[in-house]
Amino acid sequence: MKSLFRYRELIYNLVFKDLKLKYRDSTFGFLWSLANPLLVISVYSFVFGHLIRIGVERFPYFLMIGILAWNFFAQSVTMSTGSILDNGSLIRKVALPMEVFPLATVLFNLVQYFLALVVLFPMAFIFFGVLPSWSWLSFLPILVLHVLFTLGACFVVSTATVFYRDVRHFTEILLMLTFWLTPIVYDIRSITPSLQSVIYLNPMSFFILGYQNALYHNIFPSFPEVTVLAGLTALMLALGYALFVRLKTRFAEEV
Amino acid sequence: MATAIEVKNVAKSFIIRHNRNNSLKSNIVGVFHKRFREEKEILWALKEVSFDVLPGEAVGLIGRNGSGKSTLLKIIAGIYPPTSGRVNLSNARVGTMIELGVGFHPELTGEENIYLGASIYGLSRKEIEKIYPRIVAFSELDGFMDTAVKNYSSGMQARLGFALAVNLAPDILLVDEVLAVGDEAFQRKCMAWMEQFRSAGKTIVFVSHNPEDVRRICDRACVLDLGSVVFLGKTDEAIDRYHALLGAA
Repeated sequence: MKSLFRYRELIYNLVFKDLKLKYRDSTFGFLWSLANPLLVISVYSFVFGHLIRIGVERFPYFLMIGILAWNFFAQSVTMSTGSILDNGSLIRKVALPMEVFPLATVLFNLVQYFLALVVLFPMAFIFFGVLPSWSWLSFLPILVLHVLFTLGACFVVSTATVFYRDVRHFTEILLMLTFWLTPIVYDIRSITPSLQSVIYLNPMSFFILGYQNALYHNIFPSFPEVTVLAGLTALMLALGYALFVRLKTRFAEEV
Repeated sequence: MATAIEVKNVAKSFIIRHNRNNSLKSNIVGVFHKRFREEKEILWALKEVSFDVLPGEAVGLIGRNGSGKSTLLKIIAGIYPPTSGRVNLSNARVGTMIELGVGFHPELTGEENIYLGASIYGLSRKEIEKIYPRIVAFSELDGFMDTAVKNYSSGMQARLGFALAVNLAPDILLVDEVLAVGDEAFQRKCMAWMEQFRSAGKTIVFVSHNPEDVRRICDRACVLDLGSVVFLGKTDEAIDRYHALLGAA
């Protein structure tokens, strides 16, 4: 942890190098990162809001909350498959705390998440008359837990990919499946109890429901909900970090 | 006097994989079909190597290809963990020059690459700002700091990388063949700097194939062969032993 602080400049550089490179020389710059969520929200709103009529009020706003949070998680995990592997040339030549790579991946996506929120929330305000409520304050603790949970998952995935290159492809498929097992495009209360129990097997569901309660239903999370979120986060982070630390000494030889 | 670097009974084995596979499928298929099974062979790159380096001393590591000298340097640098034994470093700042311009990104400018490259060694923003003018001056690339490094010639890239490495101000320097890049003028500059670094009382471990360079820089040299130390002592004698090994092969 102490050495991670010493390497803060590197973490900063890794995050902003990617951001800079991603949008350098493109006319619309970071607006491109909004194109994907905007398109997904529009298409799903049309299909599920108008064609299938899923019956959720202010459906695009409901979707936005889930999609942005999901994108942060899924893009972090997808990118983290290359966190160690793609920095192999560096890892083989310099001794440095390798935690910086998955950490930078998560922070890079967190910045993108923030930028998307900053642009899309005012749009929700304008088009759907969404007004802030006190429950929005619970967004921040949920976000902190969600970020740490994601970091734990990224530790697992970045480590596993070093030893099994298949993880990269497997992760993509698993994320696609998990997306539909998370109540993002539908309301959990609109499905049968037996299906609900399947949804609750997926840890990401608890985070998305937390966000929806805070920002859509305008209710504070209950104590059991907070406990579950904190427990899942602690478990994932401990598991991921333990795996990473156990195997990181072999990275330089395996990448 | 306390040692700067203490290498104690260091051994290192690598698993050489024939039919290397990194996929789950081949692991599973390998259980049933011998043809797909991974064959593992253990290669001892270093066998019980021990030596000390005193502060202010320059020690050369010489040996034939595959003798284990680069592996040893990487273990001292902390990049590879030793299979057994240990390395103790006095708590000095260790600089590793295994390759010039590590982490440089071709799309980023010279200036951006200096900040990125220096931060890889754990420098803070303030520390980098302090050494930045010196790096630019040393590299003689003053007019090119806002140009993407991909537009540099390879000589310019080497100069930038070396200027950065030189100004990281380590107390212990681990150098591996980096001087093999660049033209003669550049190599002369590198060697001159190494001599200067040495006379400033810093510690150097220098891996090289060039006996003349080792003779210029090092007080002592260590001859490695097949993972073992075959000689440790005066540079001239070490070079003779090295030539004898080459002759015998």
